[in-house]
Amino acid sequence: MDEKIKFCVKDLDFYYGDFKALHNIRMDVPEKRVTALIGPSGCGKSTFLRCLNRMNDLIPISRVKGNILLEGENINDRGVDVVHLRRRVGMVFQKPNPFPKTIFENVAYGLRVNGIKNKGVLQKKVEESLKRSALWDDVKDRLHDSALGLSGGQQQRLCIARALAVEPDVLLMDEPASALDPIATQKIEDLIHDLKENFTIVIVTHNMQQAARVSDITAFFYMGKLIEIGETEGLFTRPQLKQTEDYITGRFG
Amino acid sequence: MERMHFQHELESLKMLVFKMAAASLSATRKAIESYMSSDTGLAETIVSGDAEINCMDIEIDRRSLRLLALEQPMAGDLRLIIGAMKIGNELERIADQAVNISNRAAFFCNRPPLPPVPDIEKLINVSTLMLEKAISSMTKMDVELAMEVVKMDDQADKYTLNVLKTVIEMVISDSPDRITRRNRMEHAIQTVIVSRCLERISDLSTNICEHVAFISRGVYIKHQSVDCDRG
Repeated sequence: MDEKIKFCVKDLDFYYGDFKALHNIRMDVPEKRVTALIGPSGCGKSTFLRCLNRMNDLIPISRVKGNILLEGENINDRGVDVVHLRRRVGMVFQKPNPFPKTIFENVAYGLRVNGIKNKGVLQKKVEESLKRSALWDDVKDRLHDSALGLSGGQQQRLCIARALAVEPDVLLMDEPASALDPIATQKIEDLIHDLKENFTIVIVTHNMQQAARVSDITAFFYMGKLIEIGETEGLFTRPQLKQTEDYITGRFG
Repeated sequence: MERMHFQHELESLKMLVFKMAAASLSATRKAIESYMSSDTGLAETIVSGDAEINCMDIEIDRRSLRLLALEQPMAGDLRLIIGAMKIGNELERIADQAVNISNRAAFFCNRPPLPPVPDIEKLINVSTLMLEKAISSMTKMDVELAMEVVKMDDQADKYTLNVLKTVIEMVISDSPDRITRRNRMEHAIQTVIVSRCLERISDLSTNICEHVAFISRGVYIKHQSVDCDRG
């Protein structure tokens, strides 16, 4: 099957000062599919996720070696505009973090930063993004209320709408449902299924059932190394390596 | 996080399947003995003991369902639970075949002996051996042994066919009187039923071996002539 590769990661090492957090990671992230990163705390999965849109640049002592090619271009090259990169590779965090603004302004924020001022365009884009994030029906009558009045699940979907408004290619999700109740979690998972039609998604999750439910590809990290990566169904029913089997069956002592 | 409780539950599920396997094997052996010796007393114990084996089948299903619902097993654990349910089902059907064979013992004890059907003994031997080896491959999770059993199924089929040919000859041969003809016909039908039960036991033993391969390696060795790898 000819599958387009969105990210091609080659020999990636990552350091926090002297501590090597990622060791020689090599993997491809296929386009318009969901790739889940799993592994115990401290295994490097979130560090890896943050490498994909250079969020780690914000940590002064961090350093990266190796290549991360986004559609063939190394995102760590000097000439790369990080703001532009983060527009292409959006991110949603564990805890919903809406701005203390209205629902409308939260979604319109990125568009305004990108110079869009036309009210009609803004309204259209905000509506589109809220529909894509399955929040429109909940908020269409209170777009100018504070976003902080939304429930946790709604706030997370608002953050997804905010990320989608600037039309990224890739959406990075760092445990996007870990702070949500089962119903809100279900909505996020349904949303991920819908979004992969148009976006490439990389998700970090501690919940293995969630990884199994939402992802097409799963990568297992342990102690900063990529241990095994493969089609999710195969990895969860017939992992190739004992270390993976031990982790997913809960035998890690 | 070793999931000790879950591991304990899995182990206990495995032990229940082993116990059921031992019970089904014992029922099969006794059924054959009762058939060979026309021992109706022994046959009755098999018929009455079948309820216990049925209960074990239900208990395996219950425990498996609970583990699937509550523990959300993955990988080898998931395959083990699915496999346990399937093997439980095969063992229950093997025990049913033992009951069928035992029911034939009652018939043979009331009839005058007739010439033996040579290949029925060979069929008995191969079916019993297949069941023993299938259970052994399951307890040891020995896929090589399981594959060996799968290959033996052709022998069982061959002997079943031979039995059928022999009884056809028996039925169509000239008989001196009506009573003998009737006896021969009844004998033939009962023998065909027994051979069919033995052939089913060998088939079900093969199924157990296929489940062993699935549990152990996650591979499907059944229905190999059909391309089921799509989607």
